Amino acid sequence: MTFHPQPQAGEPRPWDFPAPGRGALPNGLTVLRSHRPGQKVVAVEVLLAAPLDAEPEGLDGVATIMSRALSEGTDKLDAEEFAAELERCGATLDAAADHPGVRVSLEVPASRLDKALGLLADALRAPAFPDSEVERLVNNRLDEIPHELANPARRAAMALSKELFAPTLRCSRPRQGTEETVARIDAAAVRAFYDAHVRPSTSTVVVVGDLTGIDLDALLAETLGEWTGKPAERRALPSITSDDRARVVIVDRPGAVQTQLLIGRTGSDRHDPVWPAQVLGTYCLGGTLTSRLDRVLREEKGYTYGVRAFGQVLLSTPEGTGASLLGISGSVATDVTAPALGDLWQVLRTLAAEGLTDDERDVAVQNLVGVAPLRYETASAVAGTLADQVEQYLPDDFQAQMYARLARTGTVEATAAAVSAFPLDRLVVVLVGDASAIAEPVGALGLGPVEVVQA
Amino acid sequence: MGHTATPEAQSGGLTATEHRLANGLRVVLSEDHLTPVAAVCLWYDVGSRHEVKGRTGLAHLFEHLMFQGSGSVKGNGHFELVQGAGGSLNGTTSFERTNYFETMPAHQLELALWLEADRMGSLLAALDQESLDNQRDVVKNERRQRYDNVPYGTAFERLTALAYPEPHPYHHTPIGSMADLDAASLEDARAFFRTYYAPNNAVLAVVGDIDPEQTLAWAEKYFGTIPAHDGKPAPRDGSLPGVMGGQLREVVEEDVPSRALMAAYRLPHDGTRESDAADLALTILGGGESSRLHNRLVRRDRSAVAAGFGLLRLAGAPSLGWLDVKTSSGVEVPAIEAAVDEELARFAQDGPTAEEMERAQAQLEREWLDRLATVGGRADELCRFAVLFGDPQLALSAVQRVLEITPEEVRAIAAATLRPDNRAVLVYEPTGGAEAGADSDNEDEEGADQ
Repeated sequence: MTFHPQPQAGEPRPWDFPAPGRGALPNGLTVLRSHRPGQKVVAVEVLLAAPLDAEPEGLDGVATIMSRALSEGTDKLDAEEFAAELERCGATLDAAADHPGVRVSLEVPASRLDKALGLLADALRAPAFPDSEVERLVNNRLDEIPHELANPARRAAMALSKELFAPTLRCSRPRQGTEETVARIDAAAVRAFYDAHVRPSTSTVVVVGDLTGIDLDALLAETLGEWTGKPAERRALPSITSDDRARVVIVDRPGAVQTQLLIGRTGSDRHDPVWPAQVLGTYCLGGTLTSRLDRVLREEKGYTYGVRAFGQVLLSTPEGTGASLLGISGSVATDVTAPALGDLWQVLRTLAAEGLTDDERDVAVQNLVGVAPLRYETASAVAGTLADQVEQYLPDDFQAQMYARLARTGTVEATAAAVSAFPLDRLVVVLVGDASAIAEPVGALGLGPVEVVQA
Repeated sequence: MGHTATPEAQSGGLTATEHRLANGLRVVLSEDHLTPVAAVCLWYDVGSRHEVKGRTGLAHLFEHLMFQGSGSVKGNGHFELVQGAGGSLNGTTSFERTNYFETMPAHQLELALWLEADRMGSLLAALDQESLDNQRDVVKNERRQRYDNVPYGTAFERLTALAYPEPHPYHHTPIGSMADLDAASLEDARAFFRTYYAPNNAVLAVVGDIDPEQTLAWAEKYFGTIPAHDGKPAPRDGSLPGVMGGQLREVVEEDVPSRALMAAYRLPHDGTRESDAADLALTILGGGESSRLHNRLVRRDRSAVAAGFGLLRLAGAPSLGWLDVKTSSGVEVPAIEAAVDEELARFAQDGPTAEEMERAQAQLEREWLDRLATVGGRADELCRFAVLFGDPQLALSAVQRVLEITPEEVRAIAAATLRPDNRAVLVYEPTGGAEAGADSDNEDEEGADQ
């Protein structure tokens, strides 16, 4: 073949993260909208100010059961009919409860947005919460728990939350409840939680997609506009503190062929001015398979299919007292668990001692900024980020500004942010794996005291 | 009453042109200037079905080696250059093809074409023992992470082995066995490249904010001088009788969280009208929250945490209908099996209702629109129809074909195939103390990056 020199880039076409239109319905519901030409599956996100922290004492999981029960029948349709009507629109409807609140996500072809929005509005406005359906959801949830505990990544996440946070903080405990708390939930508890925390005036709807020919104002007025509820103050959110003293917790899974690693602590949320530098530094450390961690652990040593470093917002508050989880996760072969951790620590030590290079910083910025038009091709990706911003009390142009801020962040700032995100003496290490094979060699690394707990 | 297609479903606004270079490389182009991005997708007509005994997993291991450098690209340069240009990329391997893809900001399209051509033309200049040994370890850890270290992780492998008996080319899955991965040599990898990685065994699709004339000129410039290679052996015969002719069964006693009933039904080849009918049948019976199995097992009997059907579309062998039921606490498998059989028999007898047809067609239509929502998804579909069925234009009418299927066709395919004598059954019995109820994903492809 004839070889040619590496081609140069052409002239970039500008692309900006979409600026949403913002408004409100007479019932107080906040509305964000963004027209995305060509996106024929419309994404709708509804944020309900029903945070996990609002669950009554001993009823962890009630927000989850409530969110699932929203689609189990309304004042017009029973549970089976509701599911059937939704699928007749070609729609999907998911609802999940997390620390900031309940998120209901609808996706539907634009031509059937009217019908699907009607169903969504019914689910929010007049859910039936029938006794027998709630009972079924509770039993179903109880049956799911053993599956979650058997999943190494989820097991590790639960163990880390338990280590980091005081038991009184909701975020120390599983988001969807435990066997003990879920078993106590009934339709009355679900109804009470709904009455206390679900209303249009504290909710937001985000609609994104190709809205050509759709009179969204009229459509919203006759669907979500019919939802009524008494106004209420938003509940104050807890401030989150954590215990990140260096230590190792091994969740024993005898015979496991791999060890699931989750190394973490908490940091500030996206309100902190350091956030862009931290995103950049974390990417250089472990954002992709050419980042520092995988360059050693995967591409040099072959210990893993991949290890990633990340920062993930747990809960934000309007006051800026929120928290995020800073973590490193992946799985490594059982017999190389200690050598892999040793190498991982060496990567962190080298980062602290020598810092990032300008080249690393440049490539990372080019990627993080350059991928924006790809990352936000679909309506659901745009809707998800707009909803995240609302949920985290950030301005609607946060993501748009983020790209400019990343481009302004230098190597020194990125290094400092990554080093202070992952200090060696403040990392909690959770290992889900075969304790008989890994406890002793891991203990010899001196990462901190080692405790073995039963899975 | 049948389902009425939404206006956008007709061809999803999708158009494509097809070209062929002198060396046999087929090039499919599709313009869309709404967003400044462009997708490059390259399908090689080689997958795990082309592997030989003792070398299972080679096609996928080889896919990893395609990211380890080539004539003009050092080490991990392929990943570094694409990501540094603001692009995203990966590769995956399935039974019947291997694909590589980049989505780029539109002004970086030429770089992706240069990179793909460089490795198609000169991979062996960079391939060495060190990268083979390293990626072998990476792939073994991929296998552990996705299959060996998760509950029910080997179910897909076990069912496939039952449904396609030795020496069928689909008897083993793309991930391969640990022993065969250990046995793969540098010479195996070289021979694999020489045999299958040729322009006349590939289709290149470029979709998005592109100038077709310029793109075709770049394709010619970078790929045009790579020589064709005609030494590819015909794949082993994948034909099998229409039905299995008896029920195959395996009981697995493992430390899993709950009992499970899984089964693989032999279904028509992808690309046929019958396979679209089968897709609708499986959707009505086990797709989503209004399906018959969900309503029966999860809602009414409350014997299952999750119950559903999936379809693994295959062109070179019968497709697989995949049943997955995780039992509720205390429920035994025979009760589930009896209920499933009853529902399938009723459906084979009566066929779908008009409402069920409408729902299933609406669901499949939305799934199609989802695939078309990204330039990368569109490029992949164009390659799929070009490689497996010889004509990328078939992608444009795929959803229309699903919407034309009649209820009687759906009933007939269910009656012919969703029967006890046409399935391989896998039963899980937990060995641990705890026992309860849901979630596993069936993987039919392996990736270079997680």
